[in-house]
Amino acid sequence: MLSSAKRKRSPRKKSGEQETSDSGAGGAADGVVRARRRRRGTAESMAAKQRDISVSEFFAKNRHLLGFDNPRKALLTTVKEAVDNSLDACEEAQIVPEVWVHIEQTGESRYRVSVQDNGPGIVKRQIPLIFGKLLYGSKFHRLRMSRGQQGIGISAAGMYGKLTTGKPVKIVSKISIRKPAHYYEIEIDTKKNIPEIHNGRGNGVDFPPGEKGHQLMRKKGIAWVSHYDADKEGVDPREVRSGTRVSIEQEGRYQRGRGSVDEYLQQTAIANPHVTLHYLDPEGNETVYSRSTKTLPDEPKEIKPHPYGVEIGHLVTMLKDTDASTLAQFLTSAFSRVSPAVSRRICEGAKLSTRGSIKKIGRDEADALYQSIQKTKISAPSTDCICPIGEDLLLRGLHRVVPGEFYVASTRPPAVYRGNPFQIEVALCYGGTSVVEKVTYEVLAELLSQSDARTLRQFLVNTFDGVGAEASDKILKKAGFGSRQSPGKLKSSDIDKLHHAMQNVNLTDSHAMQVYRYANRVPLQFQQAACAITQAVTKMNWRSYGLSQSRGALPNAPVTIMVHMASVWVPFTSESKEAVAGYPEIEKELRLGLQAVGRKLGMYLRRRQKVKQEGERRSIFLRYLGEVAQAVSSINDADSKDLYEKLLRVAERKTSEADTKLDSRGKKIEETGDFGGNVLIVDQSPEALLEKGGKEQDEGQQALF
Amino acid sequence: MAKKKVRKHAASATPGKAPKSKIPKSKLPARDKKTLGSLKGMADKVVQTANRSRAPQLDIPSRSLSNVKFNRTQKIIEMGSNKNKRELFNLSQAKAYMQTMLVGSGCKELIGEQKTLSLRGMYYRLKHTIEGTKEETFEDQSDCDPIIEDVEVSLNALREELHVYASNRGSMVGNLQLNDSGDDIDCARMGSGGYSIPSIVEPEIVKFVKSNAKFVLHVEKDTVWRRFNEDKFWKKHNCILTHGGGQPPRGVRRLLNRLHHELKLPVYCLLDNDPWGYYIYSVIKQGSINLAYESKRMAIPKARYIGLSSRDYERCGLSPSATIKLSENDIKRAKQIARYPWFEKKKPWQKEIDHMLKNGFKMEVESLISLDISYVTEEYVPARLQDRDFLD
Ligand SMILES: Nc1ncnc2c1ncn2[C@@H]1O[C@H](COP(=O)(O)OP(=O)(O)OP(=O)(O)O)[C@@H](O)[C@H]1O
Ligand SMILES: [Mg+2]
Repeated sequence: MLSSAKRKRSPRKKSGEQETSDSGAGGAADGVVRARRRRRGTAESMAAKQRDISVSEFFAKNRHLLGFDNPRKALLTTVKEAVDNSLDACEEAQIVPEVWVHIEQTGESRYRVSVQDNGPGIVKRQIPLIFGKLLYGSKFHRLRMSRGQQGIGISAAGMYGKLTTGKPVKIVSKISIRKPAHYYEIEIDTKKNIPEIHNGRGNGVDFPPGEKGHQLMRKKGIAWVSHYDADKEGVDPREVRSGTRVSIEQEGRYQRGRGSVDEYLQQTAIANPHVTLHYLDPEGNETVYSRSTKTLPDEPKEIKPHPYGVEIGHLVTMLKDTDASTLAQFLTSAFSRVSPAVSRRICEGAKLSTRGSIKKIGRDEADALYQSIQKTKISAPSTDCICPIGEDLLLRGLHRVVPGEFYVASTRPPAVYRGNPFQIEVALCYGGTSVVEKVTYEVLAELLSQSDARTLRQFLVNTFDGVGAEASDKILKKAGFGSRQSPGKLKSSDIDKLHHAMQNVNLTDSHAMQVYRYANRVPLQFQQAACAITQAVTKMNWRSYGLSQSRGALPNAPVTIMVHMASVWVPFTSESKEAVAGYPEIEKELRLGLQAVGRKLGMYLRRRQKVKQEGERRSIFLRYLGEVAQAVSSINDADSKDLYEKLLRVAERKTSEADTKLDSRGKKIEETGDFGGNVLIVDQSPEALLEKGGKEQDEGQQALF
Repeated sequence: MAKKKVRKHAASATPGKAPKSKIPKSKLPARDKKTLGSLKGMADKVVQTANRSRAPQLDIPSRSLSNVKFNRTQKIIEMGSNKNKRELFNLSQAKAYMQTMLVGSGCKELIGEQKTLSLRGMYYRLKHTIEGTKEETFEDQSDCDPIIEDVEVSLNALREELHVYASNRGSMVGNLQLNDSGDDIDCARMGSGGYSIPSIVEPEIVKFVKSNAKFVLHVEKDTVWRRFNEDKFWKKHNCILTHGGGQPPRGVRRLLNRLHHELKLPVYCLLDNDPWGYYIYSVIKQGSINLAYESKRMAIPKARYIGLSSRDYERCGLSPSATIKLSENDIKRAKQIARYPWFEKKKPWQKEIDHMLKNGFKMEVESLISLDISYVTEEYVPARLQDRDFLD
């Protein structure tokens, strides 16, 4: 059972309260309804039905709260929980993360998800608790920026696996190259919320370190990536020194497109340029997102809570748990920014003695204390506990994954909401071909066969980033299909038609802006509309930055925007961590961050327009040169070819601005210097692509400013 | 393929074609030699500029109101010295520059072959699709005509010297015998249609042989002219009767000028009582803003305006139904005309224009027909002539 202290921490506390302490009442209410129809129940008969509800049981019934609403999302959630944990663990141990994700299909609607990391590993005795007990974790009780914060994630995934397939979670973990690897098969006892260990007679199995152990594991069919770059030729594979591999078999459905595992991994790669991700999908395709930097994010500092961020219930628990004997001692030691002077003022405000014993503080005193805290002036918490991604890495990350011509990033200075430090970062990418244009015939055919959309229109909207209703209508019109056409029954000639239309339709105007939301480097893929980030983006007036936008909607432009909220405690709207709640301070920082990148985008677009105009100007001159040269030579018999060449040179000189870059005022500027220090411009001309030998570019080749 | 199609038009650029009808330069008339010299000068400048890697440009005398002066002693409009630059590398001028060169090459071709073309003919001769585009060198004849005028003024050449002429417009009857390109013509025997006044009426083409007419009556339009011809007005009053189909073309103006100067005939104009009529009078008398450089050959400072006048509504007892309400634009134009330097200081003209503005309506010559079919020929004009009641 979880103590109330744990529940009081997050916005999910309300449901938490009902789950546990009110559970009796919930059961009773149920009883009353039924009783009315038949026979009156008595307090006695009801009491017989009133009993403890295990958290595990509760979540088994309310799986949607944790992101297991449907098979497709369940698959994603499992991957997500495991990968987030891996990255958290690596970073906390200051190891440059390398993560292997493997999804295999084991039955018609069954998949095995395995995620391995090169993190610190988990000590033997902790393994069963972490994977076999809900609400067991290291991150809940502290205020420190991390991906996970609740201690439900991975065990919930394991429980879902057990509920849907009856199979246990399999874990391999190793804390050192010289230490054995621990292997566990664990199941969660949903009634008691305790782990049940299946192998090694309840003790798990150990495999010795080195090649011997690896061979043994292979023989037993236990998967473990033992070396980096094992298949790469000419490289001596390095052994993976430590790490954890978790493998969960569960009901699921694999489908690409929006809200998919593929999307999650891609977006994770954007926000985590220091991570290398290996992804082997159910169809056997391997995707590798290689890190673009070896520098780990700075280590976030753990901080004590700020008095303003503490709610009454939490304050009561803190009072109960503290070792301090006097009120002054408690306030100064348990909180940040509370000096003896501040504690005196708080106590005065609550009409309590600073030397009063903690033991004597009851509910009423706690309440007075809480009220007084709100009224006392306390300086804001220190904000150096937040580690943003940083503008440079935001640019690298976005450029690594999203093709475009212009990138800009802005990291806002840290700020505070309700006593919790946080920081907003925004990066934006403009231009580039959309997925729609790049998809090959084969992939399209495959996507169509996988799709369960009822209409082609729905298929397009659901499958492709940046394709809204308007764009899909355009494509369908071009291909000559009605919008109600079903995607299932397409002949290959029809698929060809669709493919052709997708490649040739001009979507730049009807391209909805793509918004990637992140909380502590974790992509948020659902509940877009409920999220403060999306709301801030739609509220912005993007027209003033040169994009077309209808009121209260996302702008229509080939733009991908990523917004990162980093905080010691991200205020989610629900346990499934899908949308950020809007506090005024957060909304303000979002607005300022968006404006910062918007302004640069506006500058770039105006400049681009100018260069384009110059190009058009030149083409008009060139158009008439031939006529002029010929007319002149027909009058005075001059060599018309020679004259043409000479005029051409003058024309090029006259319109040389078409080759240089101009800023908004039409004044020449030195490359991107004028944009300030957080912009990346990629030459988009076909010539540039040829020179670079296609889209692949070396890191060193692009200029980062 | 497209290349061939385009090239076939380009003036005399096709080598195999030009020499066939080309007359050796030495055998050309002196006037044509001079014109060819100016054309070559224009082309050579382009080559020289290009050789120095400079942007070619033309200086074209400005044909706008701001560049005309009223010569008070000669009483004609003269062109000032303002020039407009036409640059090849200027977005709004590039096409006009190219067109100017095309017209130059077209004229050179005509002179070389000793042929002439109408404005429309020239337009068709030069119109083609620009190579590699969907754009036409000239969209419309109205694109081409002003460019030809530009070439005239920049080379200081007359239109006929460029071997281009306008279509005929305007007719003449009366006591005059002339010779047109070797044919004897008696303007007293031209039937109901009259002698169609050609575009080029220079003495090489039109020679006056004999006339005992006393004056020239120029009317605005064909319809009025027919009334006068049918009523044999010219016989009765021993005069020459002309019209210019509205704004008289150059041929008509040049012919009036020659009749006035060579045969010493006074010229009287019968025009509508509206700003357009005033303007036509102004053009006949002082020359036009657009062709100010031709004023010397065209203007007739002593021409007189016999009607209609704003007073005629009352004087002739016209009914309101014979009037047309002045439009906004009419009022604007009238005020503009009142400020022309050659009208500005003339009290009777200021009164006349003022009167029209006060009337609030305009009247066409045809409105007199409401009184009697032949009122204009039998009463109105004779009375004005009798009383010498003109505006100057
Ligand atoms: N791959 C791993 N390597 C090392 N430690 C791990 C790993 N996965 C989980 N842990 C430990 O197990 C704990 C529980 O993980 P779990 O995912 O259940 O909760 P959480 O990450 O703390 O919060 P959340 O519910 O928000 O995910 C973590 O706090 C972490 O200490
Ligand atoms: Mg977790």
